Amino acid sequence: MTAIARLIDDFGRRRRPLRSLGASGQLGYGIPTPALEAGLAQAPDMIGVDMGSIDIGPAYLGSGKMAPTRVGAKRDLRKVLRAARRLDIPLIVGSAGSAGARPHLEQTLEIVREIAREDGLACRMAVVASDVPRPALKQAIAAGRVRPMDTMPPLTPADVDAAGNIVAQLGLEAFRRALEADVDVVVLGRACDTGIFASIPSLLGFPAGLAMHMAKIVECASLCCVPGGRDSILGVLDDEGFELESMAPHRRATPSSVAAHSLYEQADPYEVREPSGRADLRHVTYRAIDDRRTRVEGAIFEPAERLTLKLEGAAKVGYRALLIAGAADPHFIARHEEIFAEVKRIVRDLVCEDTAEAYRLGFRLYGVDGVRRWAEPPAHMPREAFVMGECIAGSAERAEEVIRTTKQYLLHHGYEGRLSTAGNLAFPFTPPEVMIGEAYRFNVFHLLEVDDPARLFPVEVHRLG
Amino acid sequence: MRLDAIAMVIRSKNAGPCLLTLDVMLPDAATFAYVRARLGPLRRQVAQRYRLSENQVAVLPFEPALAVKITLPREIVSGDIGDRDVYGAQQHAALLDIEL
Repeated sequence: MTAIARLIDDFGRRRRPLRSLGASGQLGYGIPTPALEAGLAQAPDMIGVDMGSIDIGPAYLGSGKMAPTRVGAKRDLRKVLRAARRLDIPLIVGSAGSAGARPHLEQTLEIVREIAREDGLACRMAVVASDVPRPALKQAIAAGRVRPMDTMPPLTPADVDAAGNIVAQLGLEAFRRALEADVDVVVLGRACDTGIFASIPSLLGFPAGLAMHMAKIVECASLCCVPGGRDSILGVLDDEGFELESMAPHRRATPSSVAAHSLYEQADPYEVREPSGRADLRHVTYRAIDDRRTRVEGAIFEPAERLTLKLEGAAKVGYRALLIAGAADPHFIARHEEIFAEVKRIVRDLVCEDTAEAYRLGFRLYGVDGVRRWAEPPAHMPREAFVMGECIAGSAERAEEVIRTTKQYLLHHGYEGRLSTAGNLAFPFTPPEVMIGEAYRFNVFHLLEVDDPARLFPVEVHRLG
Repeated sequence: MRLDAIAMVIRSKNAGPCLLTLDVMLPDAATFAYVRARLGPLRRQVAQRYRLSENQVAVLPFEPALAVKITLPREIVSGDIGDRDVYGAQQHAALLDIEL
């Protein structure tokens, strides 16, 4: 009997609260063992882990590279896979390999198979890829079934072609289909974090609003506590509410810390959204059970009229090369804007004699405006500043040529009022030019209406061991 | 009163790649009420400091956490050419010395 069948069977005989263990909100960066073991001692009914976020930027999605290291991902996956098999409970992994596209999913599955082989683990695994087929997406654009999110422009067929990978954030519905394939382990490509923890409650008939609200909190492990952190968390769900307890003794889930978590990375703290609907949090109550545990009630699920998936895609914009240097001359720091503008002109005249410009060169002066474009200049200039030059060009060779030329001419630029005629920059090491490689941008962040998700995103079942 | 003198937490983060969301968490009901009564001036100053029009700035009180949430469009989509803060985690700095 599989782990999910055993759980359904158990609930069929005796209805009781469901115990979910949120082991990690960012698998691959370390799962603290003491809290994980404390959680396993609490007889959880399932283990869930999230590997992804859109916060990490477009490079991983566009390139197909995982954000965590393979070593880190394998270490953490081994911990949760062994734990789930030891207790014979379902393990659910969302947003495989960080950005959750096919290359990330395949790298994750390869690691899982490797662990199963090395550790002699046997189980059934359901996998759902979240890559959106390009012809289907173009048809959807033509049919008016794609609309932009927030400040994005409308999606075009050219955007679809330009994106390295395009994924949909799969929801509860996809997790449910995976679980219904009668398995021990579920791995999804890009997915809503709520689906990881709301899908088993949905299968067992718990109220959807409560399950989604709990899922949104426990997917971040102990982040909802004071002090917040990465240790595992236990969520115990019944038909009227749920209770939260960090598996690290010094982390306390208090009514205010849990309520505050609703604000985190959310534009609207009164709702949790997923493809099939939203949980309305306006009437939620938070009550302390003791000084480490909080009970939450009151979230109400409102189903959406139709399934709407959030799409994410990233396109290559070129190759990035950097110049890294410091400055301590007050004249240079004071005049940096005109110096940068002059050097850009000098470099353009030198590298464009027989080649089209086809690059973008920019500078940041950390200490002044590296982190944000302030409305006002600073009251005082800093004693030292960090200079970063950035070139993005159509080829790696072009980016390197531009940034190496820039280094030479910024170092020796004779600006007005210059005293330090031997050089303007302090290089912490050489070469001070760093070739980063491919650069990407998000060119898809849109909503797609879907009628038949099972056809677009079918479940694959794999046998391990 | 300066915001960083009365708030317990002032933070920023992306809410998706196009939006920035800033949370100001206050220590008690009285301070929350003080700020809640001044959401208009808060919104005006935020718009000026982030180079936006006031109607681009959403300000929402969230009583369960004694917090005020401010949501803005990002100048540049996260990670695009010219972006300076991919996660948006340091964009709170312009809030600190707002006077309410």
